[in-house]
Order: sequence, then C-alpha cells, then structure tokens
Amino acid sequence: MNAPLNTPLLQVKGLKKIYQTGLLKKRETFRLEADFNINSSQIVGVMGPNGSGKTTMFELITGSNQPTAGEVLCAGQNIHNVKYRSRDRLAIHYHQSYQVRHFAKTKPSFMLENPITEYPLIHLFDEPQFNTQDGYIGFMLEFFKKLKSEGRLVFLCVHPNEAFHVKIMREICDSYLFVQKGRVSQADDYDTLLENPDVTSYLGSLAQY
Amino acid sequence: MALFEATHLQKRFGEQVVLEDITLSFEEGQLSGIMGPNGAGKSTCFNVLTGQYKPDNGRVVFDGRDITGKSARVIAGLGISRSFQIMNLFDEFTAIENILIALPESINRSFNPVHDIQGNVSAMEKAADVLNKVGLSGREFTQASSLPYGERRALEIGVALASDPRLLFLDEPTQGLGADGTARLSELINELKKSYSIVVIEHDMDFLFGLADKISVIHWGQVIATGTPDQLRENEWVMASTLGEIA
Repeated sequence: MNAPLNTPLLQVKGLKKIYQTGLLKKRETFRLEADFNINSSQIVGVMGPNGSGKTTMFELITGSNQPTAGEVLCAGQNIHNVKYRSRDRLAIHYHQSYQVRHFAKTKPSFMLENPITEYPLIHLFDEPQFNTQDGYIGFMLEFFKKLKSEGRLVFLCVHPNEAFHVKIMREICDSYLFVQKGRVSQADDYDTLLENPDVTSYLGSLAQY
Repeated sequence: MALFEATHLQKRFGEQVVLEDITLSFEEGQLSGIMGPNGAGKSTCFNVLTGQYKPDNGRVVFDGRDITGKSARVIAGLGISRSFQIMNLFDEFTAIENILIALPESINRSFNPVHDIQGNVSAMEKAADVLNKVGLSGREFTQASSLPYGERRALEIGVALASDPRLLFLDEPTQGLGADGTARLSELINELKKSYSIVVIEHDMDFLFGLADKISVIHWGQVIATGTPDQLRENEWVMASTLGEIA
C-alpha cells in the first residue's frame, strides 16, 4: 500500500445525505450526518436501530451513494472521485454474504481517478449472518482480525438481539460508532460507548453483557 | 511444489464480484477440502478451478503447467476429473455402460462407443474394476435409473474415476444424501483417498473435518481461514458453536 504516511485511514468530513420528497414543495424525509476520523487499522463496531442510517453511511463510505455534501477520504483519496468499477479497491461493502456493487453514476468514468490500492483497504461488513450452529462465526472473527493485522480498517455492523452478539463486539472491536436518527457518534471503547444513554436504552437488557 | 496451485483468482459477473481473491493449493496424495456457507462462492470457485469459467485475474497451475483460462476439455485431458453437484448419468444405461463410455478407450472412438466397446474384454474388466472401487460390484448390469440415490452418487464418482485422473474434484458430494448415505459416502471417499489426490467442496463441516488433510474456508469470495481439521477446530468460537454452546 502506498498511502501517504500519517494520513488517517478514513476521514469522513462534514458528510451529509438528505432525502427529500415532493416535487414543488420539498419536504425532508431523512438526513444522515457524519463527521469522524479513524487514524489507524482497527475493528470498528457499528450499532444502531433499524432505519437509523447505518447502511446509508456504509454506502456513502464505499462511494455507492452520492453525498449531498461533504467528503469521504480513504487513505487521503476522495472515494467519490475514483472510477466506479475500482472504488471497491479502496472500500468494500459486504451485505450479509454478498458484495454490494451498484453505483449512482454522476460523471463518466474516464474523468475519474484510479484507486491508490490493489486490495480493499476498508472492509465494511453489514450485518454478517452469525449462525450459532455451524462454526463459521469463528472463522469470520479470525478473518476480521487478520485484515486488521494487515493494516486494514474493518467495520462490523451488528444489530444485537442476542447476548452473543454483544460478546462478539466486545471481544473484537477496538472502537465504536453509534448511529441513531441519522446522527453518528464515536466512542473509543465499550465503556465510553455505554456512557451514552441512547446506547443503553437501545441495548436494553443486553447492556449487562 | 504443490500438485495444484491457484493464486489471486478473481471473478466478476457484471457488477457482482463473486471471487474477490482466492489463493489455494492442493498437495499430491492428500484430500483437500473447500468449505463455506451458502452463497460464499464455492461453486464459482470450483468452476474456475476446473476450467468451466475463466478467471478475470489470477493464475491456476497444475503439475507445473499454467492452465489458466484453458477449456474444461483441455484441463480434463491433463488429468483433472470432476463430479457435478447435479448428477450427470445416463439413466437408461446400466452402471457398467456408464463407466464404459467414460473410459479413455471409448472417448477416443467416434461412433457408437457402447456397442463397440462391450466386445472389448479388457475395457469391460477395467470398468468392472472401477465399479469395484466405488463399492458397486454386483450392480454392473443394473440400470442407472434404478440404483438407490447413494449408489447413483457412487456411480457418478466412478464415472469421474474412469479416466484414471491425477486429481479428482467432487462438488458437494453429500448433496441430497441422508445421514446413512453421508456416512457410507464418507467411508468410500476415505478408501479412495488412499489411491487418489482429491479435492472436495462441501458446506457440511463435520463431513470434511472427518476426511480432509487440509481445509480452506471460503466466505465473501475469499479464503478466510485455512488449516488442518485440528487447527481449525482449535478456534474457541468454532468449538463453542459446533458444540451448541452459543446462546
């Protein structure tokens, strides 16, 4: 990888996505706002209620959804300026078991840049299916750790509804993002995360694990 | 050097990346397993390895020879044989006829191979020998369609063995078999592995753990873990989930 030294792996700067409805009289239906940096390789746990904007945020980070404002820099490169077909060399979105590769095109590809990396730098796992019966969970967790050890950034989005989901997050995540009603808050560790009353009410009885 | 090596295989279908980055190797005389949950890209991987699909990137080397992008026919000619997830038998033919037409002797003939080859004593003996290897002695003249499901699967493996391959690929061999059938198939493959190099693609973890010398776990189109069954079992989450301890 030839990312410039000291450049954060991911910078999300003043990112906004606003969805509107109505032809003449516009009415806002959903707004996502995010502003955070992740400096070094790590596993970031992402939690939040359904419909809070987690998947929209992933789509904006991987460049498959066009932001209303702001930018996403992956190792310093603005992903929205990279050729569509090559954006997954920077950041890749795995939706459960398959990859999401649909891009809202706003510019012809020849006017866009080539990516600075060959193998994806940022891996976003959107609610991977953790089946408790078959043992694949263990291999998946090892894989997340391997990606981290190679200097990559891993996002693991889980919507915890069982105790072992929380256990997995606590075991492997280095930091957290909590998304609620389109707002993204960052926590450096699990204890800090739980200081947020929105998080404890979201986790409910699972907060004890 | 490994008998078969695949490095950095990538395969896209339109916008969909099915194989992201697959690096695998299979050793001579071993049984290698490829395992993964449904939708992980196992079958696509299998089809790229055996020449049904050309990879977009990466390299496949068999016995020191680059076979990347070569047709399935050429690859088969080099000594790689495969069975299919969906059975490929001639139902109206007998078990021995199914083997006879897969022998190199009849593949090289241009017409009516079954009729001609039945007069060939050495071919008949060879075919009976293959049937014996897959546990179908005594079934030579039974029509394929009247064999029980487990024996049809064994016959299919026999068809793949008829060409005396250097490497045998089996795609989801336990598909459609019950617990008994799976146990019998496991015994059969355990016997075959004494004389053949075999690659088995399976989602059934227990089946592979009992047979394989080395296993590669595929998910999201990538190899996410690799090791001997013992090494893979050491993972605490694997242990807990196979024992049903995660609640």
